Amino acid sequence: MSRIVTIDPVTRIEGHARITLELGDAGEVRDARFHLTQFRGFEKFCEGRPYREMPALTARTCGICPVSHILASNKACDDLLSVRIPPAAEQLRRLMNLAQITQSHALSFFHLSSPDLLLGWDADPAGRNIFGVMRQHPDLARDGIRLRQIGQTIIETLGGKKIHPTWVVPGGVAEPLDATKRDAILALLPEGLEIAKRTYAFFKTLVPRFTDEARHFGTQPTLFLSLVSAQGHLEHYDGFLRIKDAQGRIVEDRVPPADYARLVGEAAEDWSYMKFPYYKPLGYPGGIYRVGPLARLNNADACGTPYADVALAEFRMLQERGPVTSSFHYHYARLVEIIYALEMMERLLQEPEILSTRVRARARSNRDEGIGVTEAPRGTLMHHYRIDDNGLITWVNLIIATGHNNLAMNQSIRQVAQAYVDGNRLQEGMLNRVEAVIRCYDPCLSCASHAFGQMPLLIELQDAAGRVVDRLARA
Amino acid sequence: MTRSRVPAPVASGPRTLVIGYGSPIRGDDAIGPLAADALAAGPLPPGLRVLSRHVLTAELAEDLAAADRAIFLDAAAQGLPGEVRVCELEPDASAVSTMAHFLDPRELLAWCETLYRHVPQAWLVSAAGDSFAYAGYQLSPAAAAAVPAMLAEVRRIVAAPLPHPAEPV
Repeated sequence: MSRIVTIDPVTRIEGHARITLELGDAGEVRDARFHLTQFRGFEKFCEGRPYREMPALTARTCGICPVSHILASNKACDDLLSVRIPPAAEQLRRLMNLAQITQSHALSFFHLSSPDLLLGWDADPAGRNIFGVMRQHPDLARDGIRLRQIGQTIIETLGGKKIHPTWVVPGGVAEPLDATKRDAILALLPEGLEIAKRTYAFFKTLVPRFTDEARHFGTQPTLFLSLVSAQGHLEHYDGFLRIKDAQGRIVEDRVPPADYARLVGEAAEDWSYMKFPYYKPLGYPGGIYRVGPLARLNNADACGTPYADVALAEFRMLQERGPVTSSFHYHYARLVEIIYALEMMERLLQEPEILSTRVRARARSNRDEGIGVTEAPRGTLMHHYRIDDNGLITWVNLIIATGHNNLAMNQSIRQVAQAYVDGNRLQEGMLNRVEAVIRCYDPCLSCASHAFGQMPLLIELQDAAGRVVDRLARA
Repeated sequence: MTRSRVPAPVASGPRTLVIGYGSPIRGDDAIGPLAADALAAGPLPPGLRVLSRHVLTAELAEDLAAADRAIFLDAAAQGLPGEVRVCELEPDASAVSTMAHFLDPRELLAWCETLYRHVPQAWLVSAAGDSFAYAGYQLSPAAAAAVPAMLAEVRRIVAAPLPHPAEPV
């Protein structure tokens, strides 16, 4: 008789989701699913709005990563205008994106995943939280806060103190950067880089403890999708789409982002509100791929900044050959990207061009369709709009980083559940590992759908008739 | 190694941090940031800093730890629409969000207590909303009418001497 275990909600992620584990007669895990349980509908209610409102509207998708949506949306609007934005505007947008990546990765590592990594998967859940980390590792917790503050300060210095910056506009940015602001940002970066380096050095000492998790946390063979620069380097704002396979072979390269639909199809399932993107040539669900820091580092030939390139070389040594396939190493990749972001921001700010007053191209809409693609902290972010003759939105497609990873997250929880969960003897630590593999991806379900309200964690073991035979509740 | 960023000594008068938070696209949920923006638009007394946020996030802990007094502006789902309430807040480590990308103000105060050993005296000034519908970009009449009352409460708190000196915990 099959039984179902439900983890509801999954904690320390952004948004509401639940996990169900289907158990066989012997208590073994037969299947696992990651369900996004709430609906949001941005693609629908944006219809009929003027396209120039799209950056502000889509920024509201998320209180955590509005900058990512602002950038992708404005790139789609640039495409509608058919303009090439001034070089300084591109570099300023790039700067803001790197600041966003810094603060988002800091939250994921220091505050959401560190309780598992520092306190242990099997630690008492009452203390396995950020307060447990603060008590045992206060310096690390303060570092995380400071790194977030540095990222946020840079975003506010560039974009103003509005909730969602309106400084990035179709055609460029609204205001140039002045020398005072540039110097203020530059002054923050050495401290940020120092924090990033010492955290990375500390984490490297922890990695050997997690050999078992690294072996079971999402090691499935998948493709990796990301932007890379024209030189094949790590890229977060522009460039070309590249796909590598699990053996490290380049499957697609130098694909203009506007051609994304040739690569990516989207399927839907009746048990989740999140779409299931897949690589079209391999079909659904065989066309499974991953995006985000792990994919970006696997795809890039180099980072292009000194310390990050050293860290990238060490990252590649996590696996004997080929790309790093364990999703556990998203954590490692995030730390490498924080280092890169801080180094690259300093490089951008040292360029005299960054103070250019030519920062905006002005035009009316010159095209009916616009596509904008960037790398958000969690992975490739795609905004695609169609407009009518009056500039009103008639159709929207948003493919969010978390959505790209949907197939992979489902496969990962199945692998972890099969490795750790004994359905005859449910233990919290087993189920925490199932949650933890989801946290590796740092999913943002606000962006993928919806997130409001709170629920207690409830895990139920049900028989095939739906009768509860065991229950585990977390306050 | 100790890298605690201890708040700077008080130079002249208490340092007050006002944080309005809420979603700008869910109708009356925006009353917190809109009230904060209205406060920031006027003349501010020395030592008063105003922030608007969609949600409360981790980095605010350091800002709060550097303040003697904190005032949170938020919408309330309970109460008669437009009703303004003021309550004093204490650190509460149990007020933990399951999602952790946004925080409860009491949790943030507990972060201050645990990490910086300094907690500002804190108040929540809330106004009950009427509508929190998606894609609602304006306040309801009742919520809009509550903004001046919220700001009056903020000014009353700021004008009063601190009930007891802010000491490191």
